[in-house]
Amino acid sequence: MVEFLSYGFVQRGLLAGSLVAAACALLGVFLVLKRLSLIGDGMSHVCLTGVAVALLTSTSPVYMSLPVVALSSLGIMKLTQKFRIYGDAAIGIVSAAGLSVGLLITALAGGFNTDLLGYLFGSILTVTTEETVLCAGLLVLVGGGIFMGYRWLVATCFDEAFAHTRGVPTQAVNTVLVLVTSVAVVLSFKVVGIFLISALIIIPPVSALLISHTFKQVLWLAAVFGVGSVWVGIYASFVLNIPSGAAIILVSLIFLFACYVWSKGVHRG
Amino acid sequence: MREVISARDVCFAYARVPVLEHISFTVEPGDYIGLIGPNGGGKTTLLKVLLGLEKGCGDIKLFGTPLAQFTGWDKIGYLAQKSPVAQSRFPISVQEVVLMGLAGRGARVGRGELKDVYDAMQQTRTRQYAGRIFHDLSIGQQQRVLLARALVSKPQLLILDEPSTALDAESREMFFDLLGELNSKHRTTILLITHDTGEVGKHISKFMYVDKTLVFFGTKQEFCHSQEVAKKLGPFAQHTIDHLHNIHGHCPLGADCRECQHG
Repeated sequence: MVEFLSYGFVQRGLLAGSLVAAACALLGVFLVLKRLSLIGDGMSHVCLTGVAVALLTSTSPVYMSLPVVALSSLGIMKLTQKFRIYGDAAIGIVSAAGLSVGLLITALAGGFNTDLLGYLFGSILTVTTEETVLCAGLLVLVGGGIFMGYRWLVATCFDEAFAHTRGVPTQAVNTVLVLVTSVAVVLSFKVVGIFLISALIIIPPVSALLISHTFKQVLWLAAVFGVGSVWVGIYASFVLNIPSGAAIILVSLIFLFACYVWSKGVHRG
Repeated sequence: MREVISARDVCFAYARVPVLEHISFTVEPGDYIGLIGPNGGGKTTLLKVLLGLEKGCGDIKLFGTPLAQFTGWDKIGYLAQKSPVAQSRFPISVQEVVLMGLAGRGARVGRGELKDVYDAMQQTRTRQYAGRIFHDLSIGQQQRVLLARALVSKPQLLILDEPSTALDAESREMFFDLLGELNSKHRTTILLITHDTGEVGKHISKFMYVDKTLVFFGTKQEFCHSQEVAKKLGPFAQHTIDHLHNIHGHCPLGADCRECQHG
């Protein structure tokens, strides 16, 4: 274990992974309760377009993906509000558009082989210091936002129509929530890969919801499960020589199963 | 005194299918209005348009301020037809739910707000549930908590969309007595969608009948004599409401009225 922690790239990976997992889990609590949890899945597919363009133009995949994913998240909101399309259908439409454009660019460029695979399946141990700082900024943004706007966030997620009649700026709350989620998604693709980002957003909050009794408890436990999944997952990946992204998500699934068993035991007791 | 609601030529359409057309009315302070009409007649949509939850056309003013510029949401309490019970895993306490009624005051909970919360819970007899998870309560108990949430800001206007459907007989009586008291003692203006005309008739002062257009808006007595209402409801149904509300001496059917003869 000590040897494992002595590597600089492992320390960076653990730190960046913990920061982004906590941010995703906290955001995920609100998205799951608003039944928008699959928005992370949709946005992650859109990431492929940003990554493909970045690889084609030799620019940063993170910076190239950020505006693409942010605009797509706003597109999902517009589809649901203006065209009265159900949220899941809107996510499906934007997700399909992002994935198809990304694949088209990849095909036209003749494929990017290993570079693209790294983004699809994650490469947490190649996280740079700059990206780690960005992840820290994200967690500060998410944590600070929840602390400052707790009542508006909870009211909007619980009963948006009523929150609107209280004068809560629900439209702004929703917009900020999906925009910050899009940033979290982009910063997550190195940690677990494009295919598994949504799991970081969905599984820890769902686990926490199974065993929590208060909203604040859900937030804390979701963050703990997210960070715990990253630490145990990376260690398992190091010891067993398996892909880190998959290991992180499998560990979070084990937490979910344990929470389910615990919740059943508590209810029976 | 300033009008509580002023609606002029309000209309609304879903996918170009008109739901509300050319609705104009004025609600005065202290009015207790029973909003009735057939299912699908646009009653709930009208309330949503008045509150800005649906974007319609026409001019709406709340407390003299155009809807788009209105910021005094603490003056309005709203209880929707559908409570958020579908979200079965929302881990939030009853006290926090009631506190949401003050969310417009800021993103953080302010000082003194808990006292208002306990007062509202006292009024609706829900104080004993304060620490419990909202979704662990029965539907009727939840409805009383949501009424406390609507009352917590001590509103001057209460807008209620079929609030009594999930309540048992005892709770329903308590509920309408409370609304009657708020209206008579505190001059709270109430706009209430209901099919429970018998229970609510003890307290309300005016009827509004909406069926895509505003068919009728006036006092209980005027309601019983309205030709428009008679066309929509038929004279017997119109007259039955008349009797439920104990409007003696205004029987439009005269000697032909079976209810009068039996009474």
